[in-house]
Amino acid sequence: MTATLERPAPPTPAEQPRRRRRLPGPFDSVTLVIAAVLIGIVVLPLGRVLVRMFWVDGALTIDPIRRTLELPGLGGMLRDTLILVVASSVLAFVIGTTLAWLNERTNARMGLLTDALPLLPFLLPPVAGAVGWTMLLSPRAGLANSWLRDLLGLVGIDLREGPFDINSWYGLILVMAFYAVPFVFMNASAGLRNLDPALEEASRLAGASTWRTLRKVTLPATAPSLGAGFLLAIWFGIGMFSIPAIIGGPAGIDVVAVRIVELLTFTFPPQTDVAIGLSGFVVVFVGLAYWLQMRILRRGRYATLGGKGARARTLDLGRAKWPARVLVLGYVFVSTVLPVVALVLVSLNGFWTPDIRWDNLSFTAVTTAVFDDRTTLTALGNSLGLGLVGGLIGILGAAMISLYVARRRTALARGIDIAVKMPAAVSNMVIAVGILLLLAGAPLYLSGSLLILLIGYLALYLPQASIAADAAVSGVGKELPEASAVSGARPARTFGRVYLPLMVPGLVAGWALLFIRIVGDLTASAILAGTANPVVGFRILEVFTSGSFALLASLSTVLVVITATVLVVVLAYTRRMSKLGVSASVGGVK
Amino acid sequence: MQPDAASAPSTPVVEVNNLLKRFRREDGALVHAIDDVTLTVDPGDFVVLLGPSGCGKTTLLRAIAGLETPDSGQVRISGRTVYSSAERVELPPERRDISMIFQSYALWPHMTAFKNVAYPLQSRRGRKLGKDEIARRVRQALELVGVGELERQYPGQMSGGQQQRIALARALVNNDDLVLFDEPLSNVDAKVREQLRFELVSMQRELGFSALFVTHDQVEAMELAHRIAVLDRGRVVQFGTPQEIYRRPATRYVATFIGAMNEAPGRVVAVDGSGHDGTVTVETEHGRVTGRTHGARHAVGDRVAALWRPEHGALHRSEPTAPNRWPGAVKAGLFVGSHTEYVVTLAGGDVRLWSPRPDLVAVDASAWVSVDVDDVLVLPEDQSSEQPQDAPAGELATAS
Repeated sequence: MTATLERPAPPTPAEQPRRRRRLPGPFDSVTLVIAAVLIGIVVLPLGRVLVRMFWVDGALTIDPIRRTLELPGLGGMLRDTLILVVASSVLAFVIGTTLAWLNERTNARMGLLTDALPLLPFLLPPVAGAVGWTMLLSPRAGLANSWLRDLLGLVGIDLREGPFDINSWYGLILVMAFYAVPFVFMNASAGLRNLDPALEEASRLAGASTWRTLRKVTLPATAPSLGAGFLLAIWFGIGMFSIPAIIGGPAGIDVVAVRIVELLTFTFPPQTDVAIGLSGFVVVFVGLAYWLQMRILRRGRYATLGGKGARARTLDLGRAKWPARVLVLGYVFVSTVLPVVALVLVSLNGFWTPDIRWDNLSFTAVTTAVFDDRTTLTALGNSLGLGLVGGLIGILGAAMISLYVARRRTALARGIDIAVKMPAAVSNMVIAVGILLLLAGAPLYLSGSLLILLIGYLALYLPQASIAADAAVSGVGKELPEASAVSGARPARTFGRVYLPLMVPGLVAGWALLFIRIVGDLTASAILAGTANPVVGFRILEVFTSGSFALLASLSTVLVVITATVLVVVLAYTRRMSKLGVSASVGGVK
Repeated sequence: MQPDAASAPSTPVVEVNNLLKRFRREDGALVHAIDDVTLTVDPGDFVVLLGPSGCGKTTLLRAIAGLETPDSGQVRISGRTVYSSAERVELPPERRDISMIFQSYALWPHMTAFKNVAYPLQSRRGRKLGKDEIARRVRQALELVGVGELERQYPGQMSGGQQQRIALARALVNNDDLVLFDEPLSNVDAKVREQLRFELVSMQRELGFSALFVTHDQVEAMELAHRIAVLDRGRVVQFGTPQEIYRRPATRYVATFIGAMNEAPGRVVAVDGSGHDGTVTVETEHGRVTGRTHGARHAVGDRVAALWRPEHGALHRSEPTAPNRWPGAVKAGLFVGSHTEYVVTLAGGDVRLWSPRPDLVAVDASAWVSVDVDDVLVLPEDQSSEQPQDAPAGELATAS
């Protein structure tokens, strides 16, 4: 043999211990423990809420339910909640689907600009948006109202307030819809992108007009994606606390999520029974929405993608192209840029007034409000620390679970996957209440500690961590790790040398999303934080209750700046990494 | 072929015994991905697993690599049991000391060509190579496949053919006894594919490793293989040299899958003699066809098919004297360069035959077709190959 490569030493019999089949290795065992803990911190609190509803002080009872039903104004509150959630979801559905269609199927698309910008509200803390809109459209002092009054004054119409009032039904529905749009947009875009263009082309060739094709082929064929987007918008609306609290509260619009927090945090003594009873309504409502969606979608058969990468020929809008683009950019400007501008202006101005002293803007107010105030500073430090640590624990745990699920296609793995993503279907509010019931008192007495907040955040944002980790794992594919195993690498080495380096950009992006969620969180913060363990979300609520709007603007501005900084740094990093063929996105934004 | 010092000359590199893997499809049907396969690869052998998509060839390869867990059976590599349901042994892929080339090449995008090729050298358990030694052997492997200049490049910066060569270097660098190939040439364009095929053969003959190569391309299989295993619905239906497979297909499935074939179903009307030189005459719709039995036993009345290849048929303007001759009319003459393919309508339908002469008979003219007795195969009418690959067995048995 004229071989030019040496043969390896043949393995000696001593190093061939036989392996029993299907025994989990150390790597899998650790993963299973982590999965059990992460699932436990969601399932146990949920179970606790359900049990507490019927079991008080060691006896079977319907007392919590009875007291909830006796709550004055219960019917009005449920009706208001239903109107708000449905109206804002429908509005978000119309806006999100239109944006997605313009972006995916017409030549109004402007690359990254129209791909990513409509998703921005997904990454900005809703509380900042709510405060920003209050600054803009408060009837007397709202900046936009004041500018509009000046304009109207030029044509001889003099108004003392308005013309708009944010603390109203339309104001609340509009802001809720802005924050629900990304859920619809994301799903509708994916559905349209995956739709086989041949389906539409066949319809056109059969003689159908653009409009008819859209109505008869495109929309019905993408119904599952659109339905999923609508359902997410509904779930988001039911669990949303900060926007109704800040905008709806002053308007006297009473929704369930806000009432639960009030009963637990701002009532003394806390009315836990009623809060739990209301949580039951939330669970029923969420389940009903899910059931309805399944029923509607099961009726039809739906086409999914044909060949991959076949981008459909886009529709030429002709003279309508630029108006369409202006519409998209105008939407982004109004929904995202305007409120942030208002926040920054008010915080730099020092106090909230329509008369901005443009030559006198300074950071003094922000410094005084945020950095010289001990409580706020502590809250800020706590939030950043929790975001850093919670994000890290969440994404690493989720990554190990995703890896396990991807490698083992057993029933157990599928079950774990479902359990980890379940909190997305249950209202955040209910999980937070359950964690309070389970951990605040005996025997653990975690009330007022950072640990209870960490657990709360992990439980709430586990699904998002899991989805980000899934994306990171699926980006690695199947054959790359297999090639490593065949090359002789043990599972731990395959993990360290192949999985991890390829997953890092995806994991960093996932961490960023978790960090942004945790720092901007108001739900768990409102229920689980207190003066002993303040976080930014809790501090914002305190400041809002005391009515100091300049301080509120400053806090929100700081929140937006932190979020934007993390986002820009992480996106710059992942874009650089994508040159090596490893891509990642933060909540859909690349 | 050079026997390795560690293994006796007779020890096969791969022994697969009664391997079985089934899975249930979503509609509940039970699919046999690997159906009781027994297969041996000798040292220095180049074996090709050939079959249409869905025949289980890739599953078989992955089961040998340890990437799929079979339901039962045994796999031995160089005399070592790596999987055995009876002994409850299943070694993970990293303990099997083999190399594999994947369809997508599976080059790690975050590593340079050098690091990709060095990886197997650094990963094998129970061995620690020095840095210089690794560098020397990586360069050697890269030179061997002709891409020495690419060592600092990332896979994303290379062409498909170059990536293919790096993947080959990575598979060869450990110089394992066995290299598995999972349709590695299906993603490169035709010209590069031919070149790589040629180089692969000469490299395999020179280095002496055993190769197990999966493909659905029969030309590729013919060119590369010492022996071809033809797979159909998880079973090896024939295992032999390319010549055997082409000239003496064991079943109608193999006969029609490899190359072009004329088929005429019918009943046996006469059997004359036995053994290799025996002849059997079949009454078909074209008329009587006489062929060799090649040792197969036929009885008068059996349902069989007479088969012959287009290149063995002859076209005549007037009646020839050969025993197998049938009158017909020329339907078309398709000039394809090296030969002309004539489609002739006989009593039982169209047959094809190839002739080097493009103007032998005009289209629509009447003509005679003949074929030598030695070139006619008579095979039992087995399960038809025209059925979809995963159709339930019950439907297949009734199809004829």
